[in-house]
Amino acid sequence: MTAVRPETGTGTVRPQAAWGWWQRLDATSASMALGVAVVGIVALVALNGNYTGLVVTTGVGYAVVTVGMVAQIGYSHQLAFSQSVFMGLGAYGAALLETRYNQGVLVSMLAVIVGAVVVAYLIGAVVTRAPGLALALATLLLPLFLYELVTYSSYLGTFAGISGVLPLWSGETYAEGMVRTGVVAVIILAVVVWLVMRIMRSGVGLQLMALAADERLAEGMGVNLRKRRLGVFIFGSVLAALGGAIVASAQGIVTPDLVNESAEVTLLIMVFVPGRRNVIAAIVGAIVIEWLSTSTEFISTNLPTFEGALLILVLLIEPDGIVGLCQRGWEAVRRKRVERAVAAKEETA
Amino acid sequence: MTKFLNLLAAGLTSGAIYAIFAACVTLWYRVSNLLNFAVGDFAMIGAIGTALLVQDQHLPFAVAVIIVLVAVALIGWLFDVGVLHYALDRSTRGARVVAVFFYTFGLSLVLEGIARAIFGTDVYAAPPIWGGPASQVLDFHIQHAGVLTIALAVIVGLALWAYLRFTVSGKAVAACGESSLGARIVGISSGVLRRRIFILTAVLAALFGVVESPVTGFVYNSGPSISLIGVVAAGFAAYNKPGRAVLAGLGIGVIEALLGGYVSTQYNDVILYAALFVIIIMRPEILGLGAESDLAGVTV
Repeated sequence: MTAVRPETGTGTVRPQAAWGWWQRLDATSASMALGVAVVGIVALVALNGNYTGLVVTTGVGYAVVTVGMVAQIGYSHQLAFSQSVFMGLGAYGAALLETRYNQGVLVSMLAVIVGAVVVAYLIGAVVTRAPGLALALATLLLPLFLYELVTYSSYLGTFAGISGVLPLWSGETYAEGMVRTGVVAVIILAVVVWLVMRIMRSGVGLQLMALAADERLAEGMGVNLRKRRLGVFIFGSVLAALGGAIVASAQGIVTPDLVNESAEVTLLIMVFVPGRRNVIAAIVGAIVIEWLSTSTEFISTNLPTFEGALLILVLLIEPDGIVGLCQRGWEAVRRKRVERAVAAKEETA
Repeated sequence: MTKFLNLLAAGLTSGAIYAIFAACVTLWYRVSNLLNFAVGDFAMIGAIGTALLVQDQHLPFAVAVIIVLVAVALIGWLFDVGVLHYALDRSTRGARVVAVFFYTFGLSLVLEGIARAIFGTDVYAAPPIWGGPASQVLDFHIQHAGVLTIALAVIVGLALWAYLRFTVSGKAVAACGESSLGARIVGISSGVLRRRIFILTAVLAALFGVVESPVTGFVYNSGPSISLIGVVAAGFAAYNKPGRAVLAGLGIGVIEALLGGYVSTQYNDVILYAALFVIIIMRPEILGLGAESDLAGVTV
């Protein structure tokens, strides 16, 4: 069934009643989320709970964090070094609730989200008052602070961390539990992808982009800077906590390595190298770097060297990362093609 | 009182570590408007390189130190020519937080990775320049390496202060930091000056690593955390006064030691980082980032 476009009187549009729910979900965002869910679930089922399946599931946990960073750093240009801290909050929160207080996965996940909102609000209400560089510098201290805290606290397991964290969805065998945990993690990631895309394609997303381009101009246009900065900070931090809880569930253990300053740098590289403004690139970056860090001894030993060199190269050549480079290449090819077509037309004429 | 004095001595020694890095960070920020997160890695290379050349290759200490300092200078030169020259001198983009942080973050990662591959994960310390057991003055224990560390920090702080205040080259450094384009218009070669200062601060950090390593020892990943504290200490000097940066570094070290002695040996760093965090957030103008600052509103 088709209808005539009211504004032009030509062409066809889908009837509102049948596709309204899809349009409300935002077709582009929903398609991307659906794609992520399908590809992820197929891959994890195919891996059947083997070691690579564990690595991919852990990577999906990191991807939840990096997708949040796309919104926070990529679109909103809010550089804060607090993601590993909130990852730690989520991971340690889930681990404590499940191992010390015998709570189930659902309760611990919900508690982690609520806890992250509260902590992010308390920290964000203060840190987002600071101008760009001060915000970055102040949050640089947070990983140092939390790392010292967890390594010396016997309640948090000191250097050994906390083991026995529950899988997101247990199975009869380890492999079955791993596949199920992976599937739940992928579904959470898909929802997060939809949420981030939906926000970025809405009026709020436009406000955030205006804020990123020029704060004074955005303020002049009526954007409430304080409110938007705080909102983005809380949103990114909650996703980081959720990602941390997923990583802890996938691995069954949480250690201080999750929150140190190298973990923060790795997260930044997962976003900057593939492309900080692209959700899919951030997902691929998280999974590939997680896989590289565990693939071979040579790569895992020399990973910092590769990461550092890649970071410098990306910043030098294309700040929008590999995706930006591909887009530039594609634009150049298209331009050449058009030029050739025009030249051929002129010759024919 | 004895406990206080001993804590003060220990605090000044560890504070001298932060002080010298803060001074290096400040001087380079003054000329380039970039933060140097690799300064701790240069110290690590200085300490571990000297230790290995003396212990494994049996080279005389002075020769080993000279070789290491030349190597560090070469790394600094290569990084400036290969990366910073393209990033800053040829770029048309304005100041961005990404540039402020991430070029030297990248260098730090590369140096850390290479150091791990070459040096492994053992703890190294260069041979002490002034050996022997700690001296005792009344009830006050003084480690010789600690004395040298503090002395070097004070000398470097004073020298850099005098350089910026009384020399034409120092004024040129300040001019580059104010406006790279303006400096170029009046005939100052900002790129060359930035390269010289980067190499100078890298060599200073490496030398400091050699002097200080008998106190704490160095591992391949010792650099980033001390660089971070150096950067924060430099922040308290608004990134433009090396002398004040030295004082801030010494102050942070003393507070850290006193917290360890009187509050908690385990949680002294936790309390210190929390206090620094609160100070930066409540008073960002301490970092010289008032609304009128060029970098106050820069974004990614």
